[in-house]
Parts: sequence; structure tokens; C-alpha cells
Amino acid sequence: MPPKSSSSKEKDLTDEDEVLQAVILADSFNKRFKPLTSGKPRCLLPVCNATLLDWTFESLALAGVQEIFVVCRSYPELVKAAIRDSKWSKPSLGLKIVSIITSKETFTPGDAMRDIYTRGIITSDFVLVMGDLVSNIRIDEVVRVHKERRRTNKDAIMTMVVKPSGVVHRTRSKGESAIFVLDAETSECLHYEHVTGYPPKKHAKIPREILAEHPEIEIRNDLIDCGIDVCSVEVPSLFQDNFDYGDIRRDFVHGVLTSDLLMKSIHCYVAREGYAARVADTRSYDSVSKDILARWTFPLVPDDNHPGGHSYEHIRGNKYLAKGNSVVLSRTCKVGSNCLIGAGTHIADNANIQASVIGQRCTIEANVTLRNVYVFDDAHIGAGSVIEYSIVGSNVKVGEGSTVARGCLIGDDVILGKNAKLGEFERVSRRRDEGEADESDKEDEDEQSEDSELEEAEARQDSESITAIIGEGSNAIVWPKGPRADEEDLDEVERYNNQRLMRIGDPASDLPLEYEGTESDSDASERESDESDLEMHALSRISSATSTSAISTSTPGLNIHTLHDAAAYSEFQAEVTQSLDRAFAEGHSVDNAAVELKTLRMASNVPLRKVREAVVASIVERIEVVEGDAAAQRREISKMVGRWGPLIDKIGGVDPVETIEVLQYHCAKSARLPLFGQILAALYQDDIVEEDDIRAWHARPEAKGEGLKDTSFAENVKRCWLVGTKMIEQFNEQESSEEESGEEDSDEEEQPSKKPAAATAQAAVGKKEESSEEESSSGDDESGEDDSQDSEDDAPATKAATAAPSQPSKPASTPASTKESEEEESEGSEEEESEDDALAPSQPAASKPSASSTTPAVSAAPSAPPPVPAAHAPALVSSTAAPAQPSTQDEESSEEESESEASDKEPAQTAQSQAPPAVASSKQPVTAPSKAESEESEGSEDSEEEEESEDDAASRATEPVPQAQVSTPKASTETARPPATITTQTESVATIPAAVPRPRPGPDVVGGQPLRPQQAAWRRHSIHFGDKVLKSGTTTGEKARRVVTTAGRQMKKGILTILRRNEREKQSTR
Amino acid sequence: MDFEETPSKITTKEFLAVVLAGFGNELAPLTSNNGDEPCPKALLPIVNKPMLDYPLAWLEASGIRDVLLICPAPHRASVLHYINSDSSASSFPSLRIDLQAFDESENLTVGTCQLLRHFAHRIDQDFIIVPCDFIPPPSLPLSRVLNKFRTEATYDGAIATTLFFEQPKPDKTSTPEEWRSGPASTSVVWDEKSGTLLHVDTPDEIDDDPEEMALNMSLLRRYPRSKLSANLQDAHVYVCRRTVLDVLKEKPRFDSIREEFIPWLCTPQYNSRKRSKYGHILNPLHNLPSQRLALEHCTLHTGLPSAYEPQSALSSPMDEVAPTETSSLRVGVVVHRASAGYTARANTLQTYLELNRHFLSQTTYALPIDSESRSLIDPKAQITSDSMVGHTTKVGERTNIKKSVIGKHCVIGKYVRIVGCVILDHCVISDGAKLDGCILGTNTTVGVKSELSKCITQAGYEVGDGGMHCCFPYSKYLTVKH
Repeated sequence: MPPKSSSSKEKDLTDEDEVLQAVILADSFNKRFKPLTSGKPRCLLPVCNATLLDWTFESLALAGVQEIFVVCRSYPELVKAAIRDSKWSKPSLGLKIVSIITSKETFTPGDAMRDIYTRGIITSDFVLVMGDLVSNIRIDEVVRVHKERRRTNKDAIMTMVVKPSGVVHRTRSKGESAIFVLDAETSECLHYEHVTGYPPKKHAKIPREILAEHPEIEIRNDLIDCGIDVCSVEVPSLFQDNFDYGDIRRDFVHGVLTSDLLMKSIHCYVAREGYAARVADTRSYDSVSKDILARWTFPLVPDDNHPGGHSYEHIRGNKYLAKGNSVVLSRTCKVGSNCLIGAGTHIADNANIQASVIGQRCTIEANVTLRNVYVFDDAHIGAGSVIEYSIVGSNVKVGEGSTVARGCLIGDDVILGKNAKLGEFERVSRRRDEGEADESDKEDEDEQSEDSELEEAEARQDSESITAIIGEGSNAIVWPKGPRADEEDLDEVERYNNQRLMRIGDPASDLPLEYEGTESDSDASERESDESDLEMHALSRISSATSTSAISTSTPGLNIHTLHDAAAYSEFQAEVTQSLDRAFAEGHSVDNAAVELKTLRMASNVPLRKVREAVVASIVERIEVVEGDAAAQRREISKMVGRWGPLIDKIGGVDPVETIEVLQYHCAKSARLPLFGQILAALYQDDIVEEDDIRAWHARPEAKGEGLKDTSFAENVKRCWLVGTKMIEQFNEQESSEEESGEEDSDEEEQPSKKPAAATAQAAVGKKEESSEEESSSGDDESGEDDSQDSEDDAPATKAATAAPSQPSKPASTPASTKESEEEESEGSEEEESEDDALAPSQPAASKPSASSTTPAVSAAPSAPPPVPAAHAPALVSSTAAPAQPSTQDEESSEEESESEASDKEPAQTAQSQAPPAVASSKQPVTAPSKAESEESEGSEDSEEEEESEDDAASRATEPVPQAQVSTPKASTETARPPATITTQTESVATIPAAVPRPRPGPDVVGGQPLRPQQAAWRRHSIHFGDKVLKSGTTTGEKARRVVTTAGRQMKKGILTILRRNEREKQSTR
Repeated sequence: MDFEETPSKITTKEFLAVVLAGFGNELAPLTSNNGDEPCPKALLPIVNKPMLDYPLAWLEASGIRDVLLICPAPHRASVLHYINSDSSASSFPSLRIDLQAFDESENLTVGTCQLLRHFAHRIDQDFIIVPCDFIPPPSLPLSRVLNKFRTEATYDGAIATTLFFEQPKPDKTSTPEEWRSGPASTSVVWDEKSGTLLHVDTPDEIDDDPEEMALNMSLLRRYPRSKLSANLQDAHVYVCRRTVLDVLKEKPRFDSIREEFIPWLCTPQYNSRKRSKYGHILNPLHNLPSQRLALEHCTLHTGLPSAYEPQSALSSPMDEVAPTETSSLRVGVVVHRASAGYTARANTLQTYLELNRHFLSQTTYALPIDSESRSLIDPKAQITSDSMVGHTTKVGERTNIKKSVIGKHCVIGKYVRIVGCVILDHCVISDGAKLDGCILGTNTTVGVKSELSKCITQAGYEVGDGGMHCCFPYSKYLTVKH
């Protein structure tokens, strides 16, 4: 090759670089040509009777490349031999060709580049091409431009050659193209967006930041990527530094352009003249062949510079016949335009050949019709066959009268019987002998997957339908059509539907490539907003925003990552299990086990949570299940947790909340679901989780199984959550009991309501004992004793009340409400005081629901003396209100109630609800005082005033709590309310569950005080209410109350939404 | 036969110009009320001509006769006065200006789309929307935009033509940074070859995704080589077919023409769903084939916007049939480059000042010819040629005026120094005052020996004697305290 003209100006350039190097990646890294490429690499497929590798060499030789490294992976011997035998290795050409055999583990071009880097063969700027290039572009010009640029800008590391063509062009791949965003003046590539044909891409996303420095840019969707890159020396090292770069375009170019650190730039060379295209798939095989025949690649044409060294005669109509009279054409055969016929080929009478390429030494029998067919060497097409848009491998024999429809690929050495009928897009290859199969396995381990596919194909060969396809006496096997089973594992580009866009003869007209006809997201939002009025405007915007985000998550990269992660995780989990097995069996210390786990975690690079999951899982699964003996079961659990529980916190981070969640989710999947409560209790006992943690966990949406699909799993998750609910109730009670340990007098009146609570508490601890409702109900005194310590803390009680309905799904709460109404009636009749009576209708909503809704729980979880005695009664709460001045007390209690029921949406209702218990208490005055006490204790810490008031109802009434007075009238007005109110109340009860647990984390966030979260919440509420009421001092009665309630409701709603959002965000960031 | 009448009748039927005059909140405090008297933005002078003059002259030069001028109700009186005054009536003899007012207040401005919908019944032909603040350069006649619209509407069913101009790089030194509150230019995707507006980056989209701009792939398929420019500004000049108003009625949520409606109007040209939905409403002309054939052979006509560009010379195209769409529903765009002449919208203080300076640099000042005006200017006053002094303005002894515009009926005392200022009508500047880079609203009074630097005063503001004000960079404006 002529050395470059070395003007004085460029002298330094030529000095520093005398040899222009090129790297050919001679492996395709995909399987688009199967089965043609089983047995030889793609770069040795003939295009116009010269191998692709030859075309590539020719293209490079034109550019003045002097040293070529051919990186080959599959069938390296064949490639080597081909190079050795080709004209390019003749010393006279001055071309130095070095073949580099890379390992089988080279799966991507990126791997190949890393291999090149490690070999250190690149010394200067070099040309990087794939081994399937047909080009007449003056690459030396590109190199010159590249070097010129490099002199002023050292960061310009690569120049990609692109060719303007228009969107639709036969050599522009529909399945795999790209949008280049270029600076209009410098052709710097600012953004590269890969476009997959199917599923159709909806939007190209152009980063706005590039506009800051480049105010005028061009968005080009009309470029053919020629696959020729002029790279600087540091390009291979960049691959080395970024081990995840696979594809040169999608990973490397994209990575470099988006990197904030690299500060490198990539340019495009928009070739105005010349031809360059890659034979990347069968479709481009077709189009490139046609381009060659139509002489677009001049001077690379069959009759001149044929890379295979053949010589052809160019006849009018772009027909090429091998010179030397070796072609035998019958007098009656018809060879249309754009045909190439290799040496030694015989074409018999009446054969009709249109736009086809026929290899050397082929025989085309009489009456054969070939349209757009590529026949490799030594093929024999039987008489009367009709073949269209297909590629026929070398040494293929097609029986007489066969039909090969469009898009078929017939592998080398296939013999098709008589009258074979290959349907559209069939792929056939030769059935292998046993020995041969072994041999190929030996020499080619990496073709495993192909083999499996082949075997699968072989397995279904015997059916008659297959024989009908390939004809009698065929040695062929038909490859399966359609998407592969492991399609999901494939890169998006290689998936079946997208590949359809890349195969020969497939118009793929049934694939929707323009999404605008379908539901594109912008359209959706558009339509929405079209039909909606002004108010919807904001909504539609939101929806469009969310839908776009949804799209962005479905990037292929992500899929790959998740898959990868999943694999890594399952492996990791297996390891952990083994390691823990050992630890358990051999009695390692917790510390040692922890060290082992940490190492494992580092090795597998899994997030901490996964470790936690694995550890929790192993511990849980190791607990022996003891049927029917709760105590033994408890011992079992505490033994295991006591021994190994500490490990959970030694794996590298302490996050008890997560621990609980992990435990919950594991239990939900496991057979040890019923043990959840006990395990949690054990963890609590061992201080691995604290009360606050349980509360925090309980408040999380994950804990409730939100967002899970409605499956049994979700149900189980929910069940666990309910157990947690009960546990928290216990805590509440416990705390209040600590505060009011003095209270012992509980009486019958309280019992009914207490019982359920106790029962639920027990359930929480997961007691399996058969203890029955009867027991608890009959032994009122007994339970009273039990409960004595746990004082009737109203707050927890109401809590429980509200919480309880939340757990059982809706059905549970409805019966509750109905029951209430019944009770309410009866009570109402019993009522002595008219006022109370009046209140009665409304009462059940809040107080009773708790009772009734807890009942199911009771039956489910039989009670035994709970470790933490549960106090319980909404009824009690209200009873305080009972004496003498029911209405005012109601008011007060209502205030507190509403606060205490932090989550309750309708404080007003709770107020009402208290009335009935009041009634009850009035019947049995004994209970009253105790209740009063309890009320204070729970209501708020500052209960001194109330304490005084307890003793004396009257004094209470006089208490100058403005709210109370204000609201009094309301109570009376309530009387008048029609039954309708009841229903609304029940509804409200039903709606509570969702809201209940959320406010709890609130106090932590807001106050940051060591308060019990709940208390903090109350406090805030009470303050708030107070303000409201004071402000609206002039208003009276119902109005005032409404103010209170609505204000409270709104505030709660606000808090709830904020909390919800926070949680969601947390979740998403995690 | 009356040959003179006929052509004018034809042209009047063709377009109606809708001139929109708003409050000009961006130009506060110049547009703030002077007491109870409003200072309409449209009448703010640029080199002593009300800015409304510029678009009106532009319209007239293109042969447009009918103008629908829409202004806020409080401005109606003064604008009406302006229209009927001698100056404009004589300078635009051929314009028939229909002044309409709309009720809105300064704080609650009505969206431009709403205005258009409201006055739609007064528009029964194709129309052109022009803002009152667009100051076109002589190198950009309106007919250029109109002609593009005429051809494209006829041959391939275009529905609108827009005008964008390149924002000249702001001169960092000339204006204080605080004044540079002008709207950042929008990003626009357009096809250079056919002059088609494809996508306008709206504030909403930026809010949705501040990182990336999403372009519909069907857009890129139809226009594979499109340009994305970040330094173009919308001149708010839109030539539209009448049917566009019908679509606007279908879209009650649109508020701003520039930010919402025009960007949306770009979508039907490549989105087939919208095309089918709104195509019949837009109802472009259908007598296309013959026109098209003629235009394809026209040498003056540049480039058909074919969906399938001419293939590269290197290989023949796929045998795919180009879709035979009768109408493109295209939105044309005329791009005016900065190199072809300075253009701006006087909708910010910065551009307002720059426009004044621009025109100053183009004209040379000579002492007034009429004796009355001349007698008011003291012979010992120094006025450089790159300044301008309005009628009946009195300039005192040894006063120095450089690079400034002095309005009409001003009184400028002795030993005053004015550099780089824009002084509106009826200002009184007392002896020994020094003004540098200021904009004084009408009726501003500057006390003796006051020094003002980079100040903008509200109309009627009084600067006390010896006052020192350097508003830069502390505060922007001097406003009247009520």
C-alpha cells in the first residue's frame, strides 16, 4: 500500500505512526446465521463468492492498513487456514496479518477488546472493524481526520464512521439502529441512542445538559453505522477499566458519552462518499450482496478486485459470469439481471434465475426457479425446484420438485429429499452422526447452547410432518421456529421478534413498528386530558410522568442485572445455608459464624438485606416444630433464638426493623408461619428487637403486605402483621399498666370487653394452647385477676379497638358493626337516662367494633394466661363518662379518645361511642371510678386535673375545659339523629384500618422525643384540637365539634399522606 | 374599472392580524401605573416611537389590512387614543384597526389561548398572531413568513407557520445581571431542510423530566435529520389557518399559545392518532396534487419534506411505497439568524434597553430642524450623534448626553450628564444630575445633583435633590410608594 503522503506539516504524525494497525473482530458474538454457521465462523461465509473476511481485508487494504490483527474465537483453525490460504498472506502485498485466538469465554466485543489490551499489541491509533465489513470508504481519510483532531483535542478518543442513508434503507438494519446526536459543526457525537426495532421504541431521550455547551445539534436517525471505528490507543484500556463494557456501541460509546468522569469525546465521521455496510444478519446479507452486484461498492465489484481472486465477466444488466468458459448455461435457461454465477456451474434447460448468486461448481437442474437465492459452492438443485429469498449452504442437495419458500436457511451438506416443501423461514441443518456430535462437542464446548437447541430439534425429527417438509431420504433436521424457550435471557436485540426484522425475506409487516397506532403513553395521557376537563389536567400530567418512568425501568440492562442478581443470590443463599449448617453442627461461636458470613457476603457482593434474609431463614427453618405442646415449642424457639439470634446483628449492620420484616416475609413463605409470633417474642426477649422496632416495622407498608399481589403469600404476610398488631396492643397495655399499677379492681362489666383484648394479646404471642373462650368468659374473676395489673388503660384499649378492625379483612368488621347495632338497640332500651339514650345510637361505632371484631381473633387464638396481661376495653373508657353528668364527661372523654385514637378518622364518632359504655357503667356504678382513672392515665401524661375529677364526677363536669362545654349541646342534638348516622359510623370504622398504624412513626419523625410514639401523637393532636377549639370559641355545640373533627381529620390525613410518601420514597430508594 | 381597488380587496380577505398587547409585567416598573393612569406596555417608546408602531408597520408593509388589536380593558382608552392620534393614523393609513379590550387585571392575566378563543368569532379567515412587542429587523419582512405559509398551506396542507429568531448572545457588560430576567430560550426541534417545526420543549416537559428531552420516535422517523437548537426564541408570530381555532376550542385546557398550544400543534404531523383525530378539524386544503406537481418543478421552491429522504447515492432504496398522505398538517418555521439582523421582543427590561441601544447605534442624531424644538436646546449642550432627543425637549447649558434616548417634552437642566440612558417622555432632570445606564419612566423627576446609576424608575417617581441611587446590584427598581 502506498505510504501516506508525508507533507512537512504531517511529518510528525507519520513519524510517530508509520504502521496503520487494524483490528478485526472476526466473531459475530451472536447466532443470526444459524445453521449456516454451524461448522464455520460467520466471517467465512461467502458473499458474492468471496468470504466476508476477504471483503473485510479488501476494505482495509484499500485504506492503507498495514498490520491487521484478526481476533477469532469460534473455529479459529478454520479462520487461520483461510487467512493462510488467501491472497492476503502473500508477502508481496505487504500486509501483515496476525490472527489472535481468544478464549471461548470471550462473549462480547468488549471481552475481545480486553484481550487485545492484555496482549499489548496496539501501539498507536488503529482501525477497529468487525469481520463482516464490506466497504470502499477511504478509511485513511478518516484516520487522517481523527489524527488531526487528536492534535488539538487529546480527549477525542474515537471516530465512528457513519453513512447517511435515510430512515428506511435496505442496508440500514430495522432491528438494530441508532440515533446519533451530533454537534452540527464538529460532528462530535453528543448522545448515542440505540434503537431496537421490536418492541418499538417510543421515545428518544436526549439529555438536556448537552444543550448547554452545544446549542445547535443535529438529531440523526438516518445514519447507517458502518461499524468502522478509528480508535486511539487508550480505547482498549478503557475497556479494561470498565469490565462491564460489552457491546462497543451500547456500552462503550454510551458509557463514554454519559460518564462524568472520563471527559472523553467521541466523534462521527459522516461519510459522504463511499460504501460501507456490515453483513450483520441475513437481511443485510441479502442487501449487501445486491449492493455489490449493483456496483454500489465500486471499485469492489466482482469483475474487478474480487476479494476471492475470482474473475468474472460483467454483462449488461449486472450479470456476472465466471470467466474461462467453465460456466455451462443451457440455451434455454434464463438468467435475469443482478445475478452472479460462479465457475464450474451448470445451469440446465429452462432454469430461471433472478437476482441470485450461485457459487462455484453448482448444478442447477432443468426447470428450476431461483429468485433472490444465495447458493453456496457445490450445491445441487434438483429439477423443477422453486426457491425464493433463501440461502442455500455449500454442498447442499435439493431433491427434485422441492419448494423452498422465502426466508429459509439451509445448512451445509443438507440433503433434501424429493418434493421437499420447506415453509417460510425454515432452518434446516444436517443431522449429525453420533461420533461427529462427540467430536464437535470436544472441539467446541462453547457451542453447548446451540447443541441443546439442536438436540431438541433432533428429538422431534421423527414425526411424519417433518418428513413431509424435508422429503424422503433427507439427512436434515428442521430447527424449531419461533422464539426460543430461554428468550427472556437473550439480549433485547437478539429476541425473536426483533430478529425477524433482520432475516432475509421477512417483511415483518405484522409487527407493529410504529407505536403511535398503539397505546403510547403520551397518547394515553393525551386522550385522558382530551376527554377530561380542566381539573384533570394536572392528573394527566402526573400519569404521563409515571408512565414514562415505568418505561424507563424496563431497560434491558436492568433485566440483565436483576437476572444476574437473582443467580448470585440463590448461589449465595445456598452457601449461607451450608455455612450455617456447619456452624450449627459443629457448634461454632456466633462470632466465628459471623465472620464467615461476612466473607461470603463480600465474595458474592450481595446487599446486606440478602444476608439478613438468609440468616433469618436458616434460623427459622432450624427451629423444630413441636406439635401440640406450646410450652415445648416456646422452649425450642427460645433455645434456637437464644443461641443464634445474636448472629442476626453481627452480619455487618444492625437493623432490627428490617429483621422483623425479613422474618415476616420468610414466615409467610414457610411452613413455620404459625411460629412467627413466638419467634418475634423470642427475639424481643433476647433484645434483638426492641418494642420501638416492632412498632416501626408494624407501621411500614411492607409489613402490611401492601403492594403484594393478592395471593396466599400476601395473606400470610398480613397474618403476620396482625400478630404484630396484637403484640403492640400488649405493649400498650403493659405500659399503661406500669403507669397505673395500682389499679386492680376490674369487674364483670369490664370483663366482656377485656376478654377479647386478652385473647388477642395471647394470640399475638402465638399461644397454641387450646384454652377456650368459654374458659375466659366463665372465669371472669380469673381473667380479672390476670388483667388486674394491666389496668384499664383506655388508650391502648381504644387503640386495640381501632387496630383490631384493621386486621381482619372487611368481612370481619362488618359483622362487628352489625353486632354493634344490635347491642346498641338493646342497650338503648335499657337506658335509664334519656341523654344516654340519645347517645346510644351512635356509640357502637367506636367502642363496640373493637369488641366484636376482636372476637374472631379470640376464637382463632385460644387464650391462656398471657405473659403480658392485656387490659382492654373501649367500654371502660366510655364508662368514665357515665356518672351523673354523662354528657359533659362524654365530651371530655371524647376529646381524649379522639386523641388517643390517633389513627381514627372521626374523633367525633368516638366521642359518641363512649356514651353507651357510660350507660353500662351507670348500671353498675362500681366500675365507674376505675374507668375514670384509666382514662386519665391513657389520655395524656398530664392527667392530674383529671385525677381529681375522677373521684367526683361533678367536679369533673365543672372543669373548665372549654371543648367539653362547647360540645355538650352536641350530645343532645345527637339524639335526634336518624339511624343513618349509624351506618356512616360503621363505614368509618371499616375505613379506619388502612389508616391506623401509620401515624405512629410520626412522632418519631416530628418530635424526635423518646416518647412512646403513640403518646407523642396524642399530644400533638390534643394541642392541635385545643387550639382549634379555643379559636372557634364563639361557635358552640355541633359546630365546634365539627371544627375539631374536621381539623383533626385533615391534619391526620395530611400526616398520613406525608408519612405514606416518606415510606414510599424510602422504599424506592432502598 | 377601478384597477386600484381590486388587489387590495383580495389581500384584505386573506389574513387578519391579531395583535396581542398585554400588561407587560416583565417590564415593571415601567409599566406600573402612574397614579391611576396606566402605562400600557404597547405604548412604551423604543427610540421615541411606541413599540406598537413596529409590528403595525411590519404588518402594513406586508399588505395586511385588517388588524384586531386586543388590549387589557384598563389600557383601552390610551391605546384608542394612540390609534386615533395623528401620528399613527397618518403612518398606517391602510390599516383598519379593530380595538378590542378584555377584562383582566395585572395579577390575573388571561392566557393567550383564552383570548383567542374569546375573540374567535371575530376571526373568519386565516390569521396571524403578532405580539405588540416584537421588533422585526428590516431584513425580515413579514411576507417571508406569509409566503412560506401560502405555499405550504397550498401544496402540502400545512396548518401554521411560526417564526423563531436566534437569540443574540447577551452582552454581559451592557446590562446589569439583575435585569436579565428574560425567558431562557426554548429548545426547539425543527427540520432545516423543509423548515418544519417538530417539537418545542415546554416548561411542563422540563418539569416532568429535567434530565432528558423525550422525542417521539415517529417524529424522528419522519424527519430523520432534524435540528435541535437551544438558542432560538419564539417571536410569537404565528400564521395559522382558521381551522386551527376550531382545534383550539377542542382543547379548553390550553392556556398559553406559545407554551402549550403551538407545541401541541406540532404533534399531529407525526402522530397518526392525533392526525386522525384532529385531521378533519384542521381540514387542510385538499386541492393538492396539481399544486404539488407544479411546485415540485419549481426551481425557486426548496425541498419537499418527503418522509423518505433521497437515499444515499450508494444503494438503491428499498422498494417501499411512500405513504400517500394528502396533507402533512405541517407547522412551518422560519428561522431568523442573528447574523441577518438584530431582532428581539421587547418583553424584558434587558431586551427593551438593548433594543433602544440597537436603534441608537443605527441612527445618527442631528439637531432638530424646526426652530421651535431647536431653540430649546442650548447651544452649549453636548449631544453625541449616537443619542436621540425628542420633540420639544429642553436641554440646558453644558449638559452632556451620550448614547441615550431622551423622550419628548422633557426638561433637562444645566450641567447634567446622561450616559447610556433611556428617558421616557415628560421627565424633568434638574441641574447637575448624573445619570448612568438608567431607564426613567414617564414623568420622572430627578432632583438637583442627584446621581443615579443603573436605575429603573416607575412613572411619576421623584428622586430628591442630591439623591444617590445605585440600584445595581442591590435592588432593581425605584417605585412610587403608595
